[in-house]
Amino acid sequence: MDNSIVRFAVYDNTNFYKIELSRTLLHFTEFDFTYFWEQCIEAGKTARKTGRLPQNIVSGAKTVVGRAHPYIEACIGTDYSEIVTDCIVEYICHSERIGLEELWARCISPKNPYEEAIFRRISEYKANRAMNRWTSIVRLQEYAKNKMNFIFDTDTIGAKLSDDTIRARKEYFDLAVSVAANELGCPGTALPSVKLCTPATLPNAAFVVGKVSKSIYRRFSDDLAEGGDLSAMEKRDCSKIRDQLAMEAYSYVKGMERPNEIEMNFALETFRETPAELYYPDSLKAAIDLEFELMVRNKIYMRKCENCGRFFAALDDNTRCDRVNSSGKTCRRQYEELVESITVEARSSLPQGGENVSEENAETANTMHISPVSSVVIPPPEVREPVVVPKETEKRAQKLYNALYKRVNKGIDENEFKEWSQYLSNMKRNLKIGEATLKQYEEFLDYSDRLAKEVKLASKNKTVHAPVEKPFDMRNSSGGSGDTGENTETSAEITEEKDTSEDEFVEIAQLSEKIEKNSARNIVSESPKVPQVEGTVVSSDNIKVKPFTPQAFDSVFDAMQAGNDGEDGESPKKKEKPVEIKKPKWERISREDAFKDKDEE
Amino acid sequence: MLFINEAAAISGLADTIIKGGVSLYNAMKYIYSIAEDDFYNINIKDAFKVVLNNITDTDCLQGLGLHIDSRTCAEMQSEEYNHVLALMVYSLAVRIPTLKNVKINDENMTDDQLYRLYNAVMEKGAENYKDMIAETFLETKYLVRKGKKLQPFTADWYKTYIYTYVPELAEITNKNMFLLGFADVLFAMFYSCLEEEIRNKMTEYTADNLSEVEGK
Repeated sequence: MDNSIVRFAVYDNTNFYKIELSRTLLHFTEFDFTYFWEQCIEAGKTARKTGRLPQNIVSGAKTVVGRAHPYIEACIGTDYSEIVTDCIVEYICHSERIGLEELWARCISPKNPYEEAIFRRISEYKANRAMNRWTSIVRLQEYAKNKMNFIFDTDTIGAKLSDDTIRARKEYFDLAVSVAANELGCPGTALPSVKLCTPATLPNAAFVVGKVSKSIYRRFSDDLAEGGDLSAMEKRDCSKIRDQLAMEAYSYVKGMERPNEIEMNFALETFRETPAELYYPDSLKAAIDLEFELMVRNKIYMRKCENCGRFFAALDDNTRCDRVNSSGKTCRRQYEELVESITVEARSSLPQGGENVSEENAETANTMHISPVSSVVIPPPEVREPVVVPKETEKRAQKLYNALYKRVNKGIDENEFKEWSQYLSNMKRNLKIGEATLKQYEEFLDYSDRLAKEVKLASKNKTVHAPVEKPFDMRNSSGGSGDTGENTETSAEITEEKDTSEDEFVEIAQLSEKIEKNSARNIVSESPKVPQVEGTVVSSDNIKVKPFTPQAFDSVFDAMQAGNDGEDGESPKKKEKPVEIKKPKWERISREDAFKDKDEE
Repeated sequence: MLFINEAAAISGLADTIIKGGVSLYNAMKYIYSIAEDDFYNINIKDAFKVVLNNITDTDCLQGLGLHIDSRTCAEMQSEEYNHVLALMVYSLAVRIPTLKNVKINDENMTDDQLYRLYNAVMEKGAENYKDMIAETFLETKYLVRKGKKLQPFTADWYKTYIYTYVPELAEITNKNMFLLGFADVLFAMFYSCLEEEIRNKMTEYTADNLSEVEGK
């Protein structure tokens, strides 16, 4: 029997639902309710105009929220049937900053079905017949996250906890809730609970196992028709007289004999199809707690991913999860690839050709060659050790991110921003795995500082920000160890180009500062001589500066020429005409063409 | 008083009074059902608010999640209790002459109009069953004409009727005591709200209102 799946049933529903231990919980804690929330707001807005909730949107939203947890899915027609109204009520109260009482009073004389629905729902809250299911789900999601952290989180990533520790943590957490409830005067019986049943002992067993129930009813229908009525007990507290009620019911079937073989076989077939063990949680919290309990019992634990820091089901010793991250690969795969690349690097760094290799080296080479990929020797720690980034630097990066994010589509293109943020995250990742140095990171931040200033200026002057060149290629920047003799020449050219553009950046940043200062002065003195803005270009008449536009060259030769001009003293920045940006002309060439010149040389 | 359509206005006002009577009758039943299951769940103040804000909505308390059925209102299922409806409407009908005091554009309803309204209400089923209500239309008319104060609208006749003819509700039980206590407060408040509602209806039906509508 598969221990990782359990089945449960709910009130007013004859179906069985399953909980996949750890998976259901992870899915619920990471479920994004944004789409549901948006659908509800949309439904609310439409209802305000038409006077009734649009059923298509409502059912769509209910389907979405039902995916968050199987318990919600099971109860979507009962307890959660009004979840869209709940969400709308919450939205109205939140957006208009009013309480439930005020909203209830507003809808006391409802003018349309929409207001009536709201009024009815709030009345149900007031009469303790219902609660706001939407806010409940949100709170339970937070509850599940906190409980998961409390039980499975460790101080050091990768550390393993003993079974006893995990059980103790779980019990401690549950006990804390019980103590708080007890101190607040809430009876323990009022809190969520789970029953363990079989299909025949479920509270709604007569309907769940309908066919067999019918055949039983046929046998005793005459006696039952003359029997007493226990329906009045339905809404009363029967906790003290449960046995009495059960014996009252039993008295009608106590003379029962085993049915004939056909009927018994029919029952056998029916019970074979139904699960032998069924849980009966009475609320979503009970279902969540049940999952935690069964996880602990079956030793299905969670672990934090060393790469992304999110929890995942620890089914083996792996410390990385199978979630796809920003690189488009799973954390586990990314790590494996990294290990592989290191192995390949380590192999390639060994001297090639048997005659020049010393005996000692040859031995090592053979060892390295023989060893499988899985047992690869991790490269020296001085290269691969993760770089510790000071908090100030982190803060600085965050500030820069915020500053640029604020100006997306105002001074910087969305795509440019994305590109920049991708660089930032790549850089952070490289630092983590020791492929980049702190100096490189700081250089990148310096560049970003200049970029932010440029963008700020552009947005201030309502100019369209010009595309910004990257300071350096991240792929080439990883420790520099990957550079080979073959591409040295190209790298040099690129470095030259980089230097040019960086110089330009510095100059522009300085000019930008000047402009800012000027404009600040102008604002203070209310002078009309504010730098003029014409269209999308700052006028050069007053301040002799243009918004930053990177130089574009058709060829490397042009670029070098431009650089020579600068060296000769004729600074290209002093030219009054703005530099025309030309689109680079890309031509697809074959490998043979590309290396033809070199071969001739 | 000049109405846009006098016959329609009389009929409309009669409807309002009848609906008021039915609403009061149903409210008593809904309140009785509270004592069955929701005594501690429903705030009685909320029930008052809902009834008094929806004078002519006969089932407004359903919005609070209340239901009338044979279980929650078993004691109100008798034929004798059903006469309470006719009595409730009658108790409102005999007070129609007080509408003489309502002035809209310095006009009030004529005696003839009031009498026709009274007849319209009586035709729709109002009845002084077993002469439970001591007040009469003529007596009220006299008091209004003389400018004398009328007795407040109370639940005295209702309680007398129950003690006399509905023994199931006359028993001393938690539910019955709750009902009678609620009746005392509700009757007085309900009548003043109904007066307000009728005044609004009369404003709606006057000719002046028509000119406003036509002007628009």
